[in-house]
Amino acid sequence: SGERLCSAEEATAGSGTYTRHGFIFSSLAGCLEKRSEDSGLPVVSVVRDAESQLLPDVGAVVTCKVCSINSRFAKVHILYVGSTPLKSTFRGTIRREDIRATEKDKVEVYKSFRPGDIVLAKVISLGDAQSNYLLSTAENELGVVVARSEAGVQMVPISWCEMQCPRTHTKDFRKVARVQPQFLQT
Amino acid sequence: AAGAAGGAYWVDSQQKRYVPVKGDHVIGIVTAKAGDVFKLDVGGSEQASLSYLAFEGATKRNRPNVQVGDLIYGQFLVANKDMEPEMVCIDSSGRSSGMGIIGQDGFLFKVSLGLIRKLLAPKCEIIQELSQLYPFELVLGMNGRIWVKAKTVQQTLIIVNILEACEYMTAEQRKQALAKLSGN
Repeated sequence: SGERLCSAEEATAGSGTYTRHGFIFSSLAGCLEKRSEDSGLPVVSVVRDAESQLLPDVGAVVTCKVCSINSRFAKVHILYVGSTPLKSTFRGTIRREDIRATEKDKVEVYKSFRPGDIVLAKVISLGDAQSNYLLSTAENELGVVVARSEAGVQMVPISWCEMQCPRTHTKDFRKVARVQPQFLQT
Repeated sequence: AAGAAGGAYWVDSQQKRYVPVKGDHVIGIVTAKAGDVFKLDVGGSEQASLSYLAFEGATKRNRPNVQVGDLIYGQFLVANKDMEPEMVCIDSSGRSSGMGIIGQDGFLFKVSLGLIRKLLAPKCEIIQELSQLYPFELVLGMNGRIWVKAKTVQQTLIIVNILEACEYMTAEQRKQALAKLSGN
């Protein structure tokens, strides 16, 4: 990183590089990549990893796991963006008012999510200084997809707000996602 | 021992470690004041939070006079294994019904949860016998904490010792001990 790669006349600066005083320098610690372009000069870039990290964008649907809940919000770890798994998990927050689209005052976080649930959510903001993405489940297709009961068995959804344990038949409250039938595995 | 009341069965067990349950009345010790919320030690794995508005007649201007180290008698509004427990000193209709800050003096001590349940049973013999000995004030917390206040420090300590010993004394031994004390 910071190494002088070549003169600006020999190549064009690509990603991970910058130009100063007529020379191209590297701005990342990584591997040098030189690609030849059709329009004359080759492009010099520095890549950090073999694959570039996919970052969750505003409006993207992400799959996350709930780590802790509070009366005001739920903290989650973002595991997948769309269908691609992330190498390092990001942190997200689902505020109480973003859990449902209707009757936001009557929402109870304890009756919507529990620690350990897998939730489909949408990114509404890239977050604050603590780099917590702000997420929302205020749509029918968003919410809890996988949850375990107190007995440790995966629960079956009954309605948009209840799930039932197949072994003990106890019902638990969750904000359940309405998954499209073609994505359900039986 | 198991009991049945209108189709409900429960199993009584003895333990000393308290687990917060919604609706339980407990005695908490104020450990911190953080803005609008007090942190209370209730003997569980986490400290409980208590809002300053959760007292009878409390408004944003009329705050209750609560200091660190005070004793509070309140009930749990929220208590489950996933969230921090929340306490209030007000019931569902907005009245305090005996809850709130416990006054100065008196003595706080800890007993097992089974003894508390025995003392809270209707027409408890122990309390009736003790009240014939000296007059005193008593607050029982489901978290195993008892607060006692009698006219003098000596009377208070005698009541404390009897209550602690009731854990292991039979009814006969207790009646003998009380007879000796009232004889003195």
